[in-house]
Amino acid sequence: MRRVSAVPAVLAALTCTGPLDAHPEIEAALSRLNAQITVTPADASLYVQRGELYARHEAWVMAEANYLRAAELAPDFPRLNRARAALDFANGRMAAARARLTRVLAADPKDAEALVLRARAHAALGTAAAAIADFNAALALIASPSPELYLERAGLYSSPGDALRSLDEGLSRLGPVVTLELRALALEESLGRTDAALARLDRIAGQSERKESWLKRRGDLLARSGRPAEARAAYAAALAAIAALPDWLRETPDTVRLAAELTRLTSSDS
Amino acid sequence: MKLPSSILALVLFATTAAPAATTIVRGPYLQSATPTSMVVRWRTDATEASVVAYGTTRDKLTLLAKSEGVVAEHIVQLTDLQPATQYFYVVGAAAPKPPTGKAAEDAPVRAATSTFTTPPPVGTAKPTRVWVLGDPGTKNAVQIAVRDVYRKYTGGRPTDLWLLLGDNAYPDGTDADYQKAIFEMYPDTLRTSPLWPALGNHDAKSANSITQSGVYYDIFTLPTRAQAGGMMSGTEAYYSFDYANIHFVCLDSHDSDRSPAGAMLQWLKADLAGTQRDWIIAFFHHPTYSKGTHNSDSDTDSGGRMNDMRAIFLPVLEAGGVDLVLTGHSHVYERSPLIDGHYGKSPTFDATKHVKQKGNGRADGDGVYRKPRRRAPHVGEVSVVTGSAGHASARPVPLDHPAMIVSFNEAGSSVLDIDGLRLDLVFLNEKGEKRDWFSIVKE
Repeated sequence: MRRVSAVPAVLAALTCTGPLDAHPEIEAALSRLNAQITVTPADASLYVQRGELYARHEAWVMAEANYLRAAELAPDFPRLNRARAALDFANGRMAAARARLTRVLAADPKDAEALVLRARAHAALGTAAAAIADFNAALALIASPSPELYLERAGLYSSPGDALRSLDEGLSRLGPVVTLELRALALEESLGRTDAALARLDRIAGQSERKESWLKRRGDLLARSGRPAEARAAYAAALAAIAALPDWLRETPDTVRLAAELTRLTSSDS
Repeated sequence: MKLPSSILALVLFATTAAPAATTIVRGPYLQSATPTSMVVRWRTDATEASVVAYGTTRDKLTLLAKSEGVVAEHIVQLTDLQPATQYFYVVGAAAPKPPTGKAAEDAPVRAATSTFTTPPPVGTAKPTRVWVLGDPGTKNAVQIAVRDVYRKYTGGRPTDLWLLLGDNAYPDGTDADYQKAIFEMYPDTLRTSPLWPALGNHDAKSANSITQSGVYYDIFTLPTRAQAGGMMSGTEAYYSFDYANIHFVCLDSHDSDRSPAGAMLQWLKADLAGTQRDWIIAFFHHPTYSKGTHNSDSDTDSGGRMNDMRAIFLPVLEAGGVDLVLTGHSHVYERSPLIDGHYGKSPTFDATKHVKQKGNGRADGDGVYRKPRRRAPHVGEVSVVTGSAGHASARPVPLDHPAMIVSFNEAGSSVLDIDGLRLDLVFLNEKGEKRDWFSIVKE
């Protein structure tokens, strides 16, 4: 029986250009790597580099083929675990990603990006406590963390109180970021802490040139909390904010609708 | 921050008694401009103190600002400035006596006096010129030609601010790439006009939005706390700022969460709802519509980012009253008429439904695009892909997106002029030809 060689297919997978066609500079980088690999075909670093080039352009099959070749040549090559972990993560292979990231972090426990990635892998696999621990470690290492990290971590807590504390840590560090305040506002309301929720609303409104929608939201919150007189005062304040807008903003369809609703609410007995 | 000159002089004397022969290797460049503040940054080849001497006349730089520490990467914020005012400034380790007159032009960079003009009070209409560069950073002759065409075009008219739409420095957005592609390419503009960048996929090869680390985030100082207007994003990855009667919104189409529940979209909704500016201009890297070197119909091209920006972000932008969407990534120029509500793939584009005003938008053509001044959702925006400031495609590209009225596979950059309630955009190719132009007038 004649055996069919897999070599042509593997070579094709290793060097296919595919979606990189649009970028001459990437094709040039690829050509350079191809030429280097022709000269030194046993240099694992070149396959890792080529795999990373493909991975950056989400050419996953080609990236994986190159990583596999690098792994055959040098299983312990630095960066390889990280690169393969990122590839596993991008392709939804969370357990594999987590295992590789654990090896990456064993070598460098202060790799914040690896910690974030492993936290996300943990979260996807349902191990919230481990995910929170990794987020904690990452947040301690990152000089300027993005609000997303605090939001992701807060989402892992089963207790709203813990989630709130997590968000407040972010607010304390980053300032009154609107996305953190909005999530915290929802949690405060779920806990029935109306005054705390109102304080958060005020901080958001303080940043916005246009206050009317935040004041309306304040009124709604007070109404839901059984404080109708204060709710009406908030609605009246929202109407006043609308009245203070320049004509070209006051007369927009959305604002006209909001004003009509506020007028109805301020005159309501309920 | 301002310090009394006498105290500063003592400090500087102590720290610079034996001054090293440092050289400025980057900048100065201007960041995070507001009507009353400006961040001045520069890099030296050795560490030293960071001092900016400035004033409103070239030969009287009597105000001093400094930042703490002895560093090579200098970041100094000037505060308590007057709006709409021209300032002259010199950077260094101490406060050198600036050269005056013609000598200023001939002086070595170390002692050169630069100038900037602060933005006007927020909300005040002022003729504003914006230079828009998408995907510029090739470092090649095309990038130089595009730059020189703009220089000739603008002549003595100052550039009030400039936007980079991502892929600012090829191939990997490294510090060395930025040095050649931005800092050595546009030194004059950097010294005089505040730069507002967006992150592209090539920049993201050396930067990470979630950790806000890497070259892009190290190089730029962008508002995380709404210092320049808008709502606080808490990140330099996406932010907004006001200039005169314009609200600019920068999104991170590459590396930040683009999901409907994600922080960037939630922030965008709050930011758009809060602004009172006449104009809203959004800029980011991945185009909502393109059939150039990238295909916005493809689910796999660019990881589906173009789909995300069109299907998730564009509805919010249009509901928020955006007037102009500037993007790059596709190394072409493509421009729509006044459109709204097209969030699907190109076969679903229906001109009868999605075009709010047809025609080329030219006063000397089919007539300018007209919008009501009162801000209403979904009254139309113009989408411009201007991603060829460094190169056009070397190969033929389809350029047949039905949402686009003008498409060119040509290198070039765009120039935006806003004067009160009129907006004009011009696309200049690398040969200096005015290849497209249109106007939007609010009334």
